[in-house]
Amino acid sequence: MDPLRSYLGRLLLEEITPVVMVLTTPLAEAACRKSGLSVVDMLSPFSLFKKIDGDSPPRCSPLPIICPCGRRVTSPYRLQMFKIRMVYASDVRKQDYEVADQRIKPVVSEANESALPDLLSDPPQLEDVLSKPEAELCPLWIKKFNRALMRTLSFSEHETFDHPVACLLVVSSKDNEPISKFVDLFNTNQLPSLLNEGIMDPQILKHYLILHDQQDGPQEIAMNILAEMKSTLGLNDCKLLCINSSTEADGADAENSWLPYIKDFMQDLASNHIIPYMEQKIRVLNQQVATTRKGFRNQIKNLWYTFTSIESQIRVLGDYAFMLRDYELALSNYRLLSTDYKLDKAWKRFAGVQEMSGLCYFMLDQSRKDAEYCMDSAFSTYLRIGSSGKRNATRCGIWWAEMLKTRGQYREASSVYYRVSNEEPSLHSAVLLEQAACCYVLSKPPMLRKYGFHLVLAGNSYYISDQKQHAVRAYRNALFVYKQHPWSYINDHVHFNVGRWYGVLGIFDVAIKHLLEVIACSHQSLTTQSMFLNDFFHFVQSMGKKFDVYKLQLPVINMPSLRVIYEDHRTYASDADVNVSESIWQELEEEMIPSSSIVRTNWLEKSPDLRKYKDSCVCVVGEAVKVRIELRNPLQIPVAVSCISLICQLSTSLDASSAVNSVLTTGAGEDIANTKPAISIFEDDGNNFTVSKLDIVLGGSETKSVQLEVTPKVEGILKLHGIRWTLSDLLVGYQYFEFDTKRKTKKGKKGPRRTLSNTLIVIKGLPKLTGCIDHLPTNAFAGDLRLLKLNLRNQSEYAVKNIKMKLSHPRFVIPGDLSEVDFEFPQCLRKHVQSEISTVSTKRTQGDAKGLLFTFSQDIKIQEGATFSWPIWFHAATPGNFSLYISLYYEMESPSEITYRTLRMHYNIEVFSSLNVSFAIRMCSSRLKEYIVRMDILNRTPSESFILHQLSCNDSKWAISSLPLCDSIRSIETVSANQSVSCFFKIKDLGTNSCKEAENSSCRSDMLFLSREGNSNTEEFDVSQSPITNFHYQERYQQGRLAKGPRDLLDFILISKAVGGNYSKSDPDVQLLSHHVCHCSAIDQSPIWWFMEGPRTVTHDFSKSYCEANIQLVIHNSVQHNISARVVTYDSVPDKSQTVNLQDSNSNQGGWYDVSLENDIKAISTAKGTHYQKQPSESISPFVWCSLSSAQVDLKPDTSTKVPLKVCIFMPGTYNLSNYQLQWKVHSSEVGQVDENQRSGGGQGHPFYVTVLQDA
Amino acid sequence: MIVCVAVVGHQNNPLYLQSFTEADDALKLHHVVHCSLDVIDERVNNPKRNAPALNETFLGLLYPTENYKVYGYLTNTKVKFIMVTTDLDVKDADARNFFRKFHAAYVDAVSNPFHVPGKKIASRSFGARVSTIVKSFGSGTTA
Repeated sequence: MDPLRSYLGRLLLEEITPVVMVLTTPLAEAACRKSGLSVVDMLSPFSLFKKIDGDSPPRCSPLPIICPCGRRVTSPYRLQMFKIRMVYASDVRKQDYEVADQRIKPVVSEANESALPDLLSDPPQLEDVLSKPEAELCPLWIKKFNRALMRTLSFSEHETFDHPVACLLVVSSKDNEPISKFVDLFNTNQLPSLLNEGIMDPQILKHYLILHDQQDGPQEIAMNILAEMKSTLGLNDCKLLCINSSTEADGADAENSWLPYIKDFMQDLASNHIIPYMEQKIRVLNQQVATTRKGFRNQIKNLWYTFTSIESQIRVLGDYAFMLRDYELALSNYRLLSTDYKLDKAWKRFAGVQEMSGLCYFMLDQSRKDAEYCMDSAFSTYLRIGSSGKRNATRCGIWWAEMLKTRGQYREASSVYYRVSNEEPSLHSAVLLEQAACCYVLSKPPMLRKYGFHLVLAGNSYYISDQKQHAVRAYRNALFVYKQHPWSYINDHVHFNVGRWYGVLGIFDVAIKHLLEVIACSHQSLTTQSMFLNDFFHFVQSMGKKFDVYKLQLPVINMPSLRVIYEDHRTYASDADVNVSESIWQELEEEMIPSSSIVRTNWLEKSPDLRKYKDSCVCVVGEAVKVRIELRNPLQIPVAVSCISLICQLSTSLDASSAVNSVLTTGAGEDIANTKPAISIFEDDGNNFTVSKLDIVLGGSETKSVQLEVTPKVEGILKLHGIRWTLSDLLVGYQYFEFDTKRKTKKGKKGPRRTLSNTLIVIKGLPKLTGCIDHLPTNAFAGDLRLLKLNLRNQSEYAVKNIKMKLSHPRFVIPGDLSEVDFEFPQCLRKHVQSEISTVSTKRTQGDAKGLLFTFSQDIKIQEGATFSWPIWFHAATPGNFSLYISLYYEMESPSEITYRTLRMHYNIEVFSSLNVSFAIRMCSSRLKEYIVRMDILNRTPSESFILHQLSCNDSKWAISSLPLCDSIRSIETVSANQSVSCFFKIKDLGTNSCKEAENSSCRSDMLFLSREGNSNTEEFDVSQSPITNFHYQERYQQGRLAKGPRDLLDFILISKAVGGNYSKSDPDVQLLSHHVCHCSAIDQSPIWWFMEGPRTVTHDFSKSYCEANIQLVIHNSVQHNISARVVTYDSVPDKSQTVNLQDSNSNQGGWYDVSLENDIKAISTAKGTHYQKQPSESISPFVWCSLSSAQVDLKPDTSTKVPLKVCIFMPGTYNLSNYQLQWKVHSSEVGQVDENQRSGGGQGHPFYVTVLQDA
Repeated sequence: MIVCVAVVGHQNNPLYLQSFTEADDALKLHHVVHCSLDVIDERVNNPKRNAPALNETFLGLLYPTENYKVYGYLTNTKVKFIMVTTDLDVKDADARNFFRKFHAAYVDAVSNPFHVPGKKIASRSFGARVSTIVKSFGSGTTA
């Protein structure tokens, strides 16, 4: 690009031009004033000469110019453009910085007004910015500003291009003695100080102008003066300029007829005086420099450069050459100077010539590198010299940046702008930063992030310097940079400031729009959030009216959490029950309700109009449809949200067609949200429905689930559109529900109720039952037994009938009998002397895994407004968490669209472990049909104590009693926390026929644990009555599913009471626990019992003979089959280890093992037989079986037989006669009836001790 | 002293940004990090002709501001690590070493099965580890 055509080239041609100093008399000024101009204003428009004008342009010298280096420039050249700067002498001085800066300010402020309409439009987008041409990217006024900024440096000491080349003295023809006025003008002390101080050369070209207004008189006066001037001041330097201040209607031609004179005058001044003068001066100076150059370096260092110093002369030479476009000459002089100034350490002057060399290089378009180097060194040198060089650095930077821009080096240009901006006051810095930003966009590829950053910096600086419009403009332009990526921190800052500044400018709607973007910033700190919010509210208040905001982000509406709760034939006891999966209810109600398809078609067929809403949901007039949704406060500041309500529409069936239309439009999905209908049309329609209004305060970061209600009052189609709320009483936010079709299908699987549809069919009013179970505990200890009450209330105007109930966990809850309603608990459980016949119907106990169906008596009807109670028994069966589902079915007495409804109740119960009860049963080895029972109780609670009250068997054929010698254990009263207790009991099989024996109080199926006082704990509970027996049935069923073998013997029921701890109440009687342990079986169950019968002590005189003892083995068959048994005796002492193995085959339960008495035998024999024979040797048995070694007997079912045995004993002592074995075989007629393991078997003899004493 | 470290995802979305200054200059550092992405883009798109290796991850000094020096590092998955320091003469080796450790910490953090790729790194242990690395960087240069 031709440097002269570039922006910088033109800038230089216009700015670095010869200066003509203008001196005027007051009368001359006054003459011009009549036309409304000053002298300078009048002349300035004609000071620019272009070739294009058609007039002969000023020409440059055809004379050869000899360079210092000896190069000759011979060819004359034409100046394409030439400009003279006309300046009043009073202005030829260095300006005060503050004053100068004040002059720049209007340039920026003026642009404010033009920027305002732009601010109301939408902020630019990425494409807008990239497609803009360079010129539009930066506002035009910025160029104006740049020039103004540079002009503040005019008439500096170290640069000479601002030094006047010529002086124009203007005197009016009305002045007295014009000639002397001319002399006075130049001689007065009003001349610029720069001239007087010797910085500028006062010997400059002088030009004298006599100004004559034709209104003041005939031109002859002026002509006379001119003649006089020419004679005294010089022939060529005097001119007459006639003007006409007449404003009268002489026509445009007359008025402007004097303008060509000015033009001619200026042309003459430039081409015939100024340019030749400058050429002349260049020649003179060139020679001077060439001659003095030899001794140049030897000169004494000049610390104070005057115009006479050789350095200043060279500078003048360079500047004149520059102004006359002889850049090579200028450059050579500047280079010469730069070395000298550098040696002299005259840094400012050095920087000045470096700057000019850089420009020369640029204009010559020679060495880019050199140009840049020069600018760089000038720039950094200016910066180095401190505050006095700052503005020079700025000017240098602007030139440099322009130079780089011309060459397409935008990145480098922007960094130069950035460096410059740091040296300037905030306003200037802002403008410079904006230019830097523009450069980043122009660079290839565009660096948008830097663009944004620099705009933000610029905006900040604008704001600091009180230029809010510009600040907003800069920030707005940066917005798109941060939009794409989640750089929310910056985005928030930009939006907030844009919003705030719009607010300050009074454009509140745009301000609020921007602030809405940031008020929900959860990631900001608390102080930032509150600042955002306060400003937002402030501007909203300033708006002075409430207005609606679509999708207001405060609070955040969690759309996926949206739940529509409505009740058709399914009603719920509490809202929490709605969350239970529909499939659970369906499974529960399966047997109870009529098939759903029949019901649907029945009522839908009645109203064919509604058939198209087949998939829609149904709700009932007068019953609230509830919508539950989560609101989240993203901020850490509490936020008051009031008047939360639903936006609904209810169209009655009459205008069905319109309803259809609106259904179709809403069916289009998000249209409704996009078109944003005015929400005023959804205003509460008091005639058709009522909506609830809710006020909440959301704490910091809090999420609340709110429930909103709409109650339809008439039949029709109800549509739920959205939600609206008022934030801090200032503005209304609203949002439409998103009924996404995708989600609809997904939710549909769960059950029809979850179908997210915003359309509901409202049908005629129906009866409705509400109900609950009073005092149902949320947590209980295992075994807890309570009597509760189910309360049902019919709030509608119609009666209901045919009530049925289904329970999911009959193990936990069973319905009682109506007669039990008024029972006092637990007295009602006590055994009555005349026990009533159990009223429990068998139907009720037919519980299975799916639950228990309970049908209330047919004649029970609940009338309108009536309350109905029914007893319910609760038993915390096992530890754990349980969800209890109860569904109540009822039918309408009056015919209606829906024939039945269900009431669904759901309770969560947590059951803690209380007592772990286990039983171990073993056949008694010394009695028939008797068992020894060990009961292990472990208290698993951390702090509770329990009183053991009663242990019962489930069947009256069992008698339970304490062991004769262990009466003390019956006094065990309390089991404290973490205590483990074991008790031993005896149970006896009384057989089915021995009911009479059961009457005997000594052997009963219940056993009370006696308290120490022995009087208070005498009440016995009847386990054979409802509800304990019902619960027992359930337990038996449940535990039976877990039990493996069929060999169960009996069930135990332990009743205890809770005392102490925080759980129990004042009356310990109330807290009753029942533990059911079912399917207990004996460890070593065998089909036959056997034991020895015989004398325990025998006295015999061994001196005469050995002792013979007669004993009998009693064998009992306890099974329903024939058994053949064989007794085998053997004399050798059985190997102990072998015995243990035999017996321990299934006795791995702890605590059960045979106590070997062999050591005791020895002890006794050594103690007692000291004076008898010595200890028998191991090989010889101390006794032998006599009569037989083996006997076979056959046993019929349930019979006993005795096998006589005889033992010969040879010495006194105590003997264990257990060395026999019993083998049996069951003869079963039906194969498979008896367990294979039990078909045959054998057993070691039970220990039987006989003590033989020496007869004295 | 390192004043700020950042992890930026391959879509130029911030994954982690932690400043280590007491002053409230978070916004400024956000801007500095954000701007340096421009330089990274430029480096990646116009690699130097005499680039030593294709898979060189260390990008070197991105740009010097008047107060800070910004160093960059680019992983093979186009995740960028950016470090802003106030030290005026940082040895390249130190910076490389820092980024190597930082990269290792990042890899460990995103290997967490609960980390969602492309989401911000919320791991507290990652934060602690980064602070340690940052501290050791300071001591490493003075020692």
